[in-house]
Amino acid sequence: MGLPNASGDLSTEVEVDAFRRLFPLRFFEKHLLESIRPDARPLGRARDTTIALGAVASANGSALAKIGSTTMLAAIKMEVMTPSMETPDEGCIAIDFHMPPICSPIVRPGRPAEAAPVVAKQLSDTILSSGMINLKELSLVSGKAAWMAYLDIYCLDADGALFDAALLAAVAAFSHLEIPVVSLNDDGKIVLSEGQGLSDREPVNKEKRKVNLGSIPFSLTCILHKNHILADPTSEEESIMETFVTVVLDSSSQLVSLYKPGGPVLAYTSAIQDCIALTRQRVKELRKILEEAISGMEVD
Amino acid sequence: MAAKPGSAPTTYSPNVGQKNRPPIFKDNDLDWVRPDGRGFHQCRPAFFRTGAVNSASGSAYAELGNTKVIVSVFGPRESKKAMMYSDTGRLNCNVSYTTFATPVRGQGLDHKEFSSMLHKALEGAIMLETFPKTTVDVFALVLESGGSDLPVVISCASLALADAGIMMYDLVAAVSVACLGKNLVIDPILEEESFQDGSLMLTCMPSRYEVTQLTFTGEWSTPDINEAMQLCLDACKKLGKVMRTCLKDAASASQE
Repeated sequence: MGLPNASGDLSTEVEVDAFRRLFPLRFFEKHLLESIRPDARPLGRARDTTIALGAVASANGSALAKIGSTTMLAAIKMEVMTPSMETPDEGCIAIDFHMPPICSPIVRPGRPAEAAPVVAKQLSDTILSSGMINLKELSLVSGKAAWMAYLDIYCLDADGALFDAALLAAVAAFSHLEIPVVSLNDDGKIVLSEGQGLSDREPVNKEKRKVNLGSIPFSLTCILHKNHILADPTSEEESIMETFVTVVLDSSSQLVSLYKPGGPVLAYTSAIQDCIALTRQRVKELRKILEEAISGMEVD
Repeated sequence: MAAKPGSAPTTYSPNVGQKNRPPIFKDNDLDWVRPDGRGFHQCRPAFFRTGAVNSASGSAYAELGNTKVIVSVFGPRESKKAMMYSDTGRLNCNVSYTTFATPVRGQGLDHKEFSSMLHKALEGAIMLETFPKTTVDVFALVLESGGSDLPVVISCASLALADAGIMMYDLVAAVSVACLGKNLVIDPILEEESFQDGSLMLTCMPSRYEVTQLTFTGEWSTPDINEAMQLCLDACKKLGKVMRTCLKDAASASQE
């Protein structure tokens, strides 16, 4: 680089770990010049990703998603509500994202993480606007009762790309969701009619055990740094380089959302296009991983 | 639009408000079986794994039946600015529940006392003088509540502390016993806890045979207390062995 600053001279003398801590940006830039990252990934590659469905027995649908060490647990609990006057035949989805103190050294009890409400808002915007779930399917008795799906996503380990992992866990939880069979009792309340053998009442939702997922949204977050694009950043990378672009595409590669919350690097059209191209590849990977998780469940 | 802020409609779960569930046993009936088919004095199989959370100094995951818990340990790190100077280290504990942990959503908020009970159960086992002026944070999250939550949290927390390399006199194992009529059942599940007449929880350091915490609530007779304590001590000893094996496995795996 030819910059006569102290870090350049030191780089040959101090130990790698010390150099990494003292001059994190220089450390990363040295890697970027070689088109490699400290965890041995090429710039455009995301970390290993796994999905486990049905992690929480007390929920109607749940999934555990891991991207690298970032871990998200999503669970859906179905409750009954009276639909609003304007939309008598639609259910509702309430999405919340939590970062409990176990997930990261920066979160402490009583002092919630700044990132949590941002991710929560992004998640509910993405899931509700993607058209993945038709809210009419969550209706039970028009005007009287409909499902309220409480989707809670917990971050168990925060190591970058929180939104990507949270969205993946949320989508996987919906694909695992099994709606309980219910019937209307004398008081006009909805009660479970499963497994009691008391079939005095006709179930109101015999055929609607699974929600049909429309086009499923998947996302990829990239870091822009100088003219490099780093896919799926770790928390260390996120803390050093501060320009992010999050692209959400659905399964037919249509753009659902594009999010670039400021940052020192201004993105040119070509950079955005590169991000979208990377996301398109990633969506294929994620779709495959999700399909494998679902078919793995069916075998059991 | 769904989920408008501020206009959240009131919702209810379809599986409450049904007819009362029949009690799981009748009085004087010694032949009843536990809902999960265990013997009265038989614990659920315990599964422990350390290193569940990479960003923490130490962590552990525990699963006993449907009770699933993650504990992360951070530190020793700088105490809060407002804290007075202290020669010995501080221990800070927090237990929280996920909203979906309990059968009815959001009921886990009722367990505010667990944080201080976890603190009391652990502080006797930790060599606080080895990290003066600093704080060790122990945070627990109950992913799913399946009964005997607090004892599982305590055992899991001591494993997480060991994983973080915090000096301790011994691991801390905790077991609870529920008194149901004339019977004592060890390691009760949620359903049994809801019918119990009394409960006893004992946490101890198994290799030193020292008790760090003993709580009992409800109706107890002296012979029952003695029997329950002995049951707990024996179970803690076995649980301690399982926890020790887990640590040894983790250590030998990291050496390879």
